[in-house]
Amino acid sequence: MFPALVDGITVGALYALLALGPSLVYGLLRVLDIANAAALVLGAYIGVTLFQHGLPWWLGALAGMAGSVILGLLLQRFLYRPLLDQGPLVVLVASIGVFIAMEEAFRLIWKPYPRQFPVTVPLPHGTIAGTPVTGVQVLMLILGVVVLLGSWWVLGHTRLGFTWRATAQDRETARAMGVNVNRVVAGIFAAGYALAALAGVLFAIRYNTVTPDMGDVPAYKMLAIIVLGGLGNPMGTILAAFVIGLAESIVNTYWGFILPRDTIAFLVLIAILLIRPAGLLPKGLTRA
Amino acid sequence: MNRARAGRMVAVAAVALMGISVVAACGSSGTTSGNQPSSGSSASGGSGGGAGASGGTIKIGFFSPQSGIEASDGKSALDAAQLAVKDINANGGLDGKQIELVQYDDGSDPKQAVSIATKLTTQDKVAAVVSGSYSDQTLAGASIFQRAGVPMLAAYAVNPGIPGTGDAIFQIATSGPVEGKAGAVALTKDLGAKKIAIVAIDNDFGNALVKGFKDEAGTLGATVLSTSMNQFGEKDFGPVIDKAVAAGADGFYLVEYAAEGQQFLTAFRQRNLTQKIVGTEGIDSTQQFIEPNGKLADGMVFTTVLNRDSTDPKTQAFLKNFAAAYSHAPDMVGATTYDAFMVLQAASKSGTSASDLKTGITNLSNFQGVTGTIEKFTNRVSVHPVDLEVFKDGTVHHYGVVDDPNVINP
Amino acid sequence: MSYLLVVATTVVIYAVLSVGLNIAVGYAGQPHLAQGAFLGIGAYMVAVFSTRYELSFWVSMLIAIAVTAASGLLLGVISLRLRDDFLAIVTIGVNFVVVAIFQYVPWFGGATGVYAIPLPSIGGQQFGNGEFLILGLVMLAIAVAVSGYLARSWLGLGLASLRDDELASASSGTPVAPFKITAFVVSAAIAGMAGALYAPFLSAVTPTSFGFTESIVMLAMVMFGGVGTIRGAILGAVVLGALPEIFRFVSDYRLLIFGGILVLVLRFQPQGIIGTDSAAAGWWSRFRRPGHSADDDGSGGGAGPYGAVGAAGGSLPGPVDAPGAGSAGE
Repeated sequence: MFPALVDGITVGALYALLALGPSLVYGLLRVLDIANAAALVLGAYIGVTLFQHGLPWWLGALAGMAGSVILGLLLQRFLYRPLLDQGPLVVLVASIGVFIAMEEAFRLIWKPYPRQFPVTVPLPHGTIAGTPVTGVQVLMLILGVVVLLGSWWVLGHTRLGFTWRATAQDRETARAMGVNVNRVVAGIFAAGYALAALAGVLFAIRYNTVTPDMGDVPAYKMLAIIVLGGLGNPMGTILAAFVIGLAESIVNTYWGFILPRDTIAFLVLIAILLIRPAGLLPKGLTRA
Repeated sequence: MNRARAGRMVAVAAVALMGISVVAACGSSGTTSGNQPSSGSSASGGSGGGAGASGGTIKIGFFSPQSGIEASDGKSALDAAQLAVKDINANGGLDGKQIELVQYDDGSDPKQAVSIATKLTTQDKVAAVVSGSYSDQTLAGASIFQRAGVPMLAAYAVNPGIPGTGDAIFQIATSGPVEGKAGAVALTKDLGAKKIAIVAIDNDFGNALVKGFKDEAGTLGATVLSTSMNQFGEKDFGPVIDKAVAAGADGFYLVEYAAEGQQFLTAFRQRNLTQKIVGTEGIDSTQQFIEPNGKLADGMVFTTVLNRDSTDPKTQAFLKNFAAAYSHAPDMVGATTYDAFMVLQAASKSGTSASDLKTGITNLSNFQGVTGTIEKFTNRVSVHPVDLEVFKDGTVHHYGVVDDPNVINP
Repeated sequence: MSYLLVVATTVVIYAVLSVGLNIAVGYAGQPHLAQGAFLGIGAYMVAVFSTRYELSFWVSMLIAIAVTAASGLLLGVISLRLRDDFLAIVTIGVNFVVVAIFQYVPWFGGATGVYAIPLPSIGGQQFGNGEFLILGLVMLAIAVAVSGYLARSWLGLGLASLRDDELASASSGTPVAPFKITAFVVSAAIAGMAGALYAPFLSAVTPTSFGFTESIVMLAMVMFGGVGTIRGAILGAVVLGALPEIFRFVSDYRLLIFGGILVLVLRFQPQGIIGTDSAAAGWWSRFRRPGHSADDDGSGGGAGPYGAVGAAGGSLPGPVDAPGAGSAGE
């Protein structure tokens, strides 16, 4: 049981890092942004490239996050913001277009072959119940907890969180009350893309590989998680990320590869939505 | 009324645009053989038609994924194809005719293979085709080549439907069940494993090998404890390994590609296990697996076609020339692609028309290629000994060979 | 010539699919990212029935249409319970579930797929490239006719009002459920028809040939041309469908170009190239009737709360935007 829990929670932490940004964005703008998963790949590639040039991995990670923040700011300013009045489907498909183009750009720039990211994270590690737990997994566990508690605190107890909630509730009223909505949106995108890039670097170290298509599966799964958590509910998103991560690893541990993981995730999603059409935690329930 | 008519007019305009874009498609794609420098200059006349075997040149078609998710293997294949054409042309060509390679990117998409195959047969009028692509595209192209009577050699795709298409479609790669049987021989006879756990990719390749493996393992008196079929991109093999070890497995049969193989072996090493592992040609990729991750696989034996330690001058020359041209060692995909062209050369002794080449390939016997000896084609699948290689200190070395006729004849 | 016929057939199959998809997305305003799955179901039905059961292509095609229509019914029923983004994600999930069924249910041939699918024949005459294109065009004509009929008929009016404001149309007595379900069923049946032609066109089907990527491509075609219009769906299929062949000369960059064009069009022509409120339609309309803005050509309006033109020409004076006004104006 224990190995499954460790694995599930570490994977869940990655999903949470990736899905939190789009969830916050959805809360504000009511649009789904798949291109966030491209930030995961971009972060990993920038990180691994700098690492291969001799920089420490955490510096590579920071640079990857910075690069992804720039991507996020550019996308929201020049693509999403002008499209907000066009309805969510336009934005969704446009973000898919960005994702397709970027994946192919990664393939052209960094070649289709996998790159290694051999880093040993200097954190306590060892073997628990016969299953090895690596330093990066410990780091992922820590970050998962930090993100969970951090988001809860920031959203519920800071001015920033208040601004986000006010804007998510009613953009126009927030604007009238003096909230600079554009700045809030830009800030959320920056934060979301940075977290996705961090997830990408951790993912790359955890599995010691960076490939152009490493964002594919996380992209779909991120959507499922956001919906499962109750659209636009960041705490629900984080909860759903851990639920999906744990469900996958428990199924994997006890039943083996019975069905493709994505299929499991989506079957669970469809079943839950048919019973609870507004997701696990509908809006309002967990707004602090 | 007016508005309805306006709509109809726009629809007409759309149809007209359709026509224009299709014509544009035709006009612009005549230059696509430009990737091959030697044929770049003649490419503009490429769509002019004319018999493939006319004059001093012969057109050979080639398609592979250069974009999309399969691009990494596609690049290996295209590199080898261009090297093969260069070598053949320097060496007298096909029955005295210089090969003009007409190559297309199929974009990892079977629909594109349909239009490429049609283009190769009707516009480029190639005499033969080599597929450097995956099963989906190779299958889609095969039936068109069969109908046109143009022989096609699939370099590394192993879907049983490919040679099953008809008498013009051949498979250079080892038959899937045969490679599976050879894996069983290696794991049970050579490495002595008796209780085996199978971990395999769930696609046509994985299923074909697993079937052959199970048949032969049964014959050899070994027990298959479990079979786990995973998807592309699976990363977490820990639980499957733990379960198999708990059940008493003393050997793993690993039918995975580079990415999944890396994750399996990482989990395996982390557990400090000593079980024997036999892998397959799926991980025989220089840039995707051997160079970056060879050390993970130390001690693992795998079934493939390319004997790196071969003393055959042909193989040695291939290994050397490929590394010189592309600054990395060739892999199984490259080797079988190269040999597909060499088979064409061998088959061209009695003529270079499409039907001559088809007959030549059908009747080929004891062909010596860089992947060793292809004894013959049985039901259009190559019959040849299966090479066993082993990882030592991160590099690949010859381990043995499975040449029992009962195993290698499909 | 044959090459052109084959490229044209690819394009026409896509046109059938996107015209069908437009019924659910454009007319009913439902987010639908599963058309690739329905294409797959149709193709697999023909593949299995025409090989293992040796039924004729035509009988297999009828089975394919019936089965996809039934699958569409299922999705339609699900759509009643879910709205907007929730439905969008569920339709994404449908792709993965359907592909897993193809791969795990042995009846569908497993991971190896189904191959050696016979060519259709008519009167003992086997199909060549020309016949494929002709049948494709016949299917396109059927899809356009059905689509046009739906847009014009009472159903079209109902769907248009549903799309514009579901609540209002439900309270004004429009039976929302049958409309939505009909849209999903017809959309799926048309995809099944296209799939029937697609299977022998490819000659082999494998689970990896279908799924989410294909669904995205089809939705992109509808959005590219202009949601809610038949002409837009066809133009999208023509341009995006022929793109891989048109840009063959830049080999490695084709997918990049595909993504880039899609993004640029949506960014600068979010109503699609020739959609209802697009610059092209406006220009055409002004050319026809100076002084009148582009509105509707009778083949359906912009799109609904989830469609392309969320604020249905938000810059226009209010009353014009009343539910159903666009179509009712005809």
